[in-house]
Amino acid sequence: MTATIDTSFNQSQGHTSGGTLEARQVSAWFGSNKVLEQVSLTMPANTVTALIGPSGCGKSTFLRILNRMHELIGSAQLNGEVLLDGQDIYASGHRITETRKRIGMVFQKPNPFPAMSIADNVTAGLKLTGTKVSRSEREALIERSLSRAGLWKEVKDRLREPGAALSGGQQQRLCIARSLAVEPEVLLMDEPCSALDPTSTRRVEETIHEIREQVTIVIVTHNMQQAARVSQQCAFFLAELGTPGGIVESGATEQIFNDPRDPRTADYVNGRFG
Amino acid sequence: MTVLLDSDESTSPVVEQPRTLGPASPTSDKVFHGVTLAIGITVLVIMGAIGVFLGLQSIPTFQRYGWGFFTESQWQPEKDILGISAVLLGTFTIALVALAIAFPLALSTAIFISEFAPTRIRSFLVSMVDLMAAVPSIIWGLWGFFLIQPKAIHIAHWLHTHLGFIPIFQVDTDPDAAIWAQSRYAASAFVAGIAVAMMVLPMAAAVMRQIFSQAPAGEREAALALGSTRWGMVRTVVLPFGRGGIIGGTMLSLGRALGETIAVVLIISPAFDIKFRPLEVGSESVSALIAGRFGEATSNQLKALLTAGFVLFVITLIINTLAAMIVSRSRSGALTD
Amino acid sequence: MTTTIDRSSNEDPTGLANTREISVVADGSPGVAPGSDRGSVSHLAAAPVTTQVRRLTVGAQEPTAFNARSAADVADRPRVIESPRDISSATLDDRLSFWGSMLGSFGLVWVLYYQILPFSGRVGFVICWWFVFLAMYAGVTAMGNPSKVVVDRVVTAMVTSGALMVFLALTSAVLFTFVRGFDALVHVNFFTQDMGGVRPTDPLDKGGILHAVVGSAIEIGIAVIITLPLGIGAAIYMNEFSGPFARAVRTIVEAMTALPSIVAGLFIYTTLIVLLGVQRTGFAAAMAISVMMLPIIARSADVVLRVMPGGLREASLALGASKWQTVRQVVLPTVRSGLATALILGIARGVGETSPVLLTSGASTFMNVNPFNEPMNSLPLFVFASVRSGETLYIARGFGAAAVLLVLVLVLFIFTRFLARQKVGR
Repeated sequence: MTATIDTSFNQSQGHTSGGTLEARQVSAWFGSNKVLEQVSLTMPANTVTALIGPSGCGKSTFLRILNRMHELIGSAQLNGEVLLDGQDIYASGHRITETRKRIGMVFQKPNPFPAMSIADNVTAGLKLTGTKVSRSEREALIERSLSRAGLWKEVKDRLREPGAALSGGQQQRLCIARSLAVEPEVLLMDEPCSALDPTSTRRVEETIHEIREQVTIVIVTHNMQQAARVSQQCAFFLAELGTPGGIVESGATEQIFNDPRDPRTADYVNGRFG
Repeated sequence: MTVLLDSDESTSPVVEQPRTLGPASPTSDKVFHGVTLAIGITVLVIMGAIGVFLGLQSIPTFQRYGWGFFTESQWQPEKDILGISAVLLGTFTIALVALAIAFPLALSTAIFISEFAPTRIRSFLVSMVDLMAAVPSIIWGLWGFFLIQPKAIHIAHWLHTHLGFIPIFQVDTDPDAAIWAQSRYAASAFVAGIAVAMMVLPMAAAVMRQIFSQAPAGEREAALALGSTRWGMVRTVVLPFGRGGIIGGTMLSLGRALGETIAVVLIISPAFDIKFRPLEVGSESVSALIAGRFGEATSNQLKALLTAGFVLFVITLIINTLAAMIVSRSRSGALTD
Repeated sequence: MTTTIDRSSNEDPTGLANTREISVVADGSPGVAPGSDRGSVSHLAAAPVTTQVRRLTVGAQEPTAFNARSAADVADRPRVIESPRDISSATLDDRLSFWGSMLGSFGLVWVLYYQILPFSGRVGFVICWWFVFLAMYAGVTAMGNPSKVVVDRVVTAMVTSGALMVFLALTSAVLFTFVRGFDALVHVNFFTQDMGGVRPTDPLDKGGILHAVVGSAIEIGIAVIITLPLGIGAAIYMNEFSGPFARAVRTIVEAMTALPSIVAGLFIYTTLIVLLGVQRTGFAAAMAISVMMLPIIARSADVVLRVMPGGLREASLALGASKWQTVRQVVLPTVRSGLATALILGIARGVGETSPVLLTSGASTFMNVNPFNEPMNSLPLFVFASVRSGETLYIARGFGAAAVLLVLVLVLFIFTRFLARQKVGR
């Protein structure tokens, strides 16, 4: 992969590496129902952070708070701060589109734009954010993004075909390529492999390994093995009956899996509940 | 259960036929089937009979006037000159004016409700559109005639004065006269079109909004997560997805607009000219023709009116069928079924 | 393709079951988190905040935070009183550019329009103001924002004003009807008398629209009695017994929804009144309304029934219920409120439609409760005839009747909202 990133595309920040994301005392509500309480977590630059925990514990909500997707839901509210390289992304005057451009997201279900070709899907983010690139830059960017997502070899001869014609795993990697094309500092992944078969899952995990050099990754996963394989640090979320979700324990992945401090973490990572 | 494997003759190729399943429905179901079938037949017969009747009644007219019925512009029963070319042109003029007004408004209403409005007032706005659809056409007729017409005359005059070089904005009068002839701009297809637009708008808006709201959440979120503005998301995700709904809804409202009667009768003054000058006084539509002429009609004229109605019905039927096909063929339609 | 079809559950089916023996694949160096105390609560307004310090520990040398955390039961966690943070993304700058453009364009257009250029008329003023506002708003936004944001703002303003205009049209139509009808509506006799023997010059305290209200009620009543069973029955048939015949019924019903209402009236006029020599009566009008309403009712009932999930139907059949029992006890109760809403909207359409009754009912000026003899009046017809007469007083009565008609439709409409809300509650 290209280790040096051409910064000419990047209008926001001339970064060549990921940014540090830090959540401070984040709480979240849906209507009057509090789903997250006082969650604080630092996601250091160029690290893969896995958010694990049973369903309904608020980890997806937390992830969506990190790039302001949370507030798309009508009744959603939150409190606390999310700092990207020290600046609160929720601060008044921070443009929401700029934040989302710097903090990309890959969803559970692959969602390429069906009306666009593979190539157009990759550059969709540039078009949507109004970033102008020349034709040669565009082609270089398509190749680089698809290569980083590990998809270039498979699709280089069919860039004009619709993105929806790809298999599920390829679609997901196309979505990763699409997110990478806008050169985000952080990439959030919401169970990116849960709709994929094991082979595709492995390819996506390889992709995660490779792009970690350039971008900070936060991944929500239900798959313990996956968390163990791809992440360097882990945060275990839990929402006990009737209470909002929160982090029970977080730390280095190795420690969470081998030497958890909280018995509930031990129970969870050993598959005794969840 | 459905397939019987014959194990006795395992060596020879097994010839299989689907087993016929015996009737197992209880008596109540037979009655149920019979009753609903009878209703179905009744509805089919009544509805079919109307179509057939209209078609049959049209035959003498077509025999008598031939193609001239479509090419003749005048409707002068006393001279036995009957034709619907001017009336059809007027019908389409009014409908097109209505669409030109209703389409942008319906599209913005649909986009506003499904994309821009605050979530908590969204359902209120949806019922406002439904309410608008329920407002009787006579009310829109009154509104157009008494409230809008005095203002529309000025708009028409302005359009004529400043854009009069475009043929469709022409009116046969001098726009720059010291006291310009207001009556030349009244009772026009333009004014009638405004009222008809309000009648057909809610239907178009409702169809569009419904399909917009079905645009996949995943694609919406993907666009936003890439840093798109809301409009960018609407343009890349919602509008391409809803294209079938936009076209279909517009065509459905065109079908409605062609058949509207009362507002047109109230507003326009009848004129049988072959012209496409919507701003000018006088026009006529098929439905207004029927409403105006049925009372004095002799048997032959009545048949001619029925023929005009039949032609209108066939046109709206074709438009509605095309609209339904477009809606159901589009990606969005696949989701609704 | 897959994006639209796949609705699989959120859970990873292979996830948790296989996690009993976990081998941690340490990838690269263990995550090193720069842990520093996060005590600052500057933005939290609520007073009794206890901040839990959660930090990413490096190794095991700092166990206190997590041990303390896990020792405390979650239920005993001190409750934090918090209020959500206002994150509306509109800044002062955004608000000012909006209102500034509003005011600035108003002033500019006012000066140009009324003072310098020889224009007049409020409609033209508003149109010019709108265009100048859009241009100004775009210009002001462009000073501090990228082009995509400018486009977004301008399109939002355009779309919003489009919707606003529609809303304005609706409210103006409703208000206008009531304002113009006010003169007639204040007289009690307007609701209690008919127009029998009322001369064109008689003031508004003589005569009323009782005959039209009663006529409308009788006509729509007959039409409902005819069309409801036929429409719903046909819809049930189309949905329960699929086959070529059901498809034929559906095709014809859908085709007949294209029938213009005036043609429905002309059909009844030709068959009943001209060919069969029946008088113009309320019954003929009811027939014309029925012809217009039947496809509408059948179609909307069909649409509602089709939305019914197939799984419910199969679940009932799988329990051993007959088709009839399934329809009566599962299908109809499930779609009840949706069906009622669709039907009432169809009825509202039938009440308000003028063109079918225009040709068939005649227009009596007196009360007639017999639908089979003598002409009958109805609300829309009364409105139409009064307004056409050109007499000022008749026009006032026409508006009064229009207001009554509007109230009737509004009541029917609010009733549907009420039914729709019940559905949510169930």
